[in-house]
Amino acid sequence: MRNRAIVFLLLASSFAGAVVLSLSVGPLPVTLGQVFRILSGGSADGAGETAMRVVLTLRLPRALLGALVGGALSSSGVAFQALLRNPLADPYILGVSGGAAVGAMTARLLLPGDSFLSLPLCAFLGAALAASVVFVLARRRSGVSRERLILMGVIVGAFLNALIMMMVALAPPGRIPGAVYWLMGDLSLGTLGRVGLLAPYVAAGVVILFLLSRGMDLLLLGDEAAFQSGLPVERVKTVVYLTASLLAGSVVAFSGLIGFVGLIVPHGARSIVGSGHRRLLPAAFLLGGTFLILADVLARTAGPSGELPVGAVTALSGAPFFLYLLRRNGGKP
Amino acid sequence: MRRLPDSAGRAAGRAGTHWVLPVAVLLLLFALPLRVQASFPLVMKDDRGVSVRLDASPRRVVSLAPNLTEIVFLLGREDLLVGVTRFCNYPARAAALPRVGGIVDPDVERIVAADPDLVLCTTDGNPKERVRVLEAMGIPCFAVGPQNLAAVFHTIERIGKLLGVPGKGRREAESLRARAERVSREKRTPSPRVLFVVSTSPIIAAGNGTFLDELVRIPGGRNAAGRFAGRYPRLSVEDLIAAGPDIILVAGMTGVEGFSPDVSRWAEVPAFRNGDVVTLDGDLVTRPGPRMVAALEGVAKVFSAWRERRAASPVGERGSTR
Repeated sequence: MRNRAIVFLLLASSFAGAVVLSLSVGPLPVTLGQVFRILSGGSADGAGETAMRVVLTLRLPRALLGALVGGALSSSGVAFQALLRNPLADPYILGVSGGAAVGAMTARLLLPGDSFLSLPLCAFLGAALAASVVFVLARRRSGVSRERLILMGVIVGAFLNALIMMMVALAPPGRIPGAVYWLMGDLSLGTLGRVGLLAPYVAAGVVILFLLSRGMDLLLLGDEAAFQSGLPVERVKTVVYLTASLLAGSVVAFSGLIGFVGLIVPHGARSIVGSGHRRLLPAAFLLGGTFLILADVLARTAGPSGELPVGAVTALSGAPFFLYLLRRNGGKP
Repeated sequence: MRRLPDSAGRAAGRAGTHWVLPVAVLLLLFALPLRVQASFPLVMKDDRGVSVRLDASPRRVVSLAPNLTEIVFLLGREDLLVGVTRFCNYPARAAALPRVGGIVDPDVERIVAADPDLVLCTTDGNPKERVRVLEAMGIPCFAVGPQNLAAVFHTIERIGKLLGVPGKGRREAESLRARAERVSREKRTPSPRVLFVVSTSPIIAAGNGTFLDELVRIPGGRNAAGRFAGRYPRLSVEDLIAAGPDIILVAGMTGVEGFSPDVSRWAEVPAFRNGDVVTLDGDLVTRPGPRMVAALEGVAKVFSAWRERRAASPVGERGSTR
């Protein structure tokens, strides 16, 4: 038990460390001391007002957005892996990403002018629509089978991906870059307002999943066994599916398609705290948030030619680390 | 009676034309080197290093890029064009010519159907494989890829030779060269820090080695994105603040709007503080053709307006808060 407390303390403090690091690193020099002074409500003397505004209106929203997005994607990934009993499941497996992407591209191509707010909204609607379509298609009178969910998700996903390719091929050239960067994952849209808009969705989703921890534990045993231990299997599956999809959809709406986090962080967290969902979900949230914040620091600062797509940095920097983490554990997923 | 003026006229005519023959011979002699250059068969190396051979002056030409179409019009040989891309919109008459697809997706079948005896293409926009297919079918393809203004002028001269109007090509190139020269001789100080962006969301700027970089440097500007590697770096808002450009030029294209208020409210950036954000015609600044000189003159005009205002109120320009 004490061991577990120490593990969570470590996870929480590395999370806090990542936030502080991301606040102090960037093209404009801001020292750690200044960061602490700014955070404690004082003014940053010396570098002055600019440093304070850069930290509070540029870096802090990005760090918070990274925390929310990384945490939500990891939690959603945990839920999908339990629901589908498949270690390869991630938040995007059932068409959420395709739906969000089509929504975002539509906003980008069809809505003229300032698409900064309409893009997240359309992406969310697209994700919700795709997730619902997959669910309705997979449903039978006897309930929702995993195989049908995966099959329908893959078909709908393929259809939506084809739509995206058509849109890219037919779009006027000037409108493409924004959409392409969004598809590769992008935290630069982070503002405090958007973080405030996203936070309730993520909080609600994560809390609902946490309350279903025991249900997910049982789902891992298979429907039959879960049913025999008194779990309302179909209802739990429905709620987990919708919650995890909407969690992923709301996050995708603000950050684009950030891969790897939702797939691999759950495995990393499992290798640290085991597969009981009551511990796994919070650990995955913290680990995912920490990881995405650090990946974004790299994306912002490491590239010689400006900002890198954070969706590529996650896999590039994360793959070696998580390989190490998983191999250390004797390779059990 | 009637014959008199007639015969007198003929006599006068004979008397008046006896000098014509020697002068014509002389003129021909002068024109000889010119004619030798323009004579066919003609073999010229293109920018791929391929020796392109034309047996006779081309009569049917397909252009696979808007800048090349503009050059053909500049040389007055638009009568030869039997195919252009769907992006060829200048001069306006170019848009009425038969289309053979786009720049990255030229339609090989349509090009062949147009029966050209010369295809003008680019080294970096048109797909190499499709050009090779055309060549395999016996259609001469001349590929150009000018990387700077000097190379654009040279390209105009070479296309002039290919189209049988070497003199016109040389004259047009010379006059463009002179205009660019004039811009570079204008007053160059103080030197503004300039960010030339091709996209405002995300912010993508032109780095070293691009045409836009040259458009900034020739009239005496410093490229604020010069410290980044790569030709088109993507900047975060913080990168933009750190770069601190005095002037921001926007290559206006479909889908490129102004900066969002989230970005433009950063008064730390002099260009935002003083309202020195200027949108230029995207076609002008991105096509390595004759109108790039007009773009250069436009940029120079923006710079000199900035210099004048700066000279008028040096204190106001430097004030850091507003």
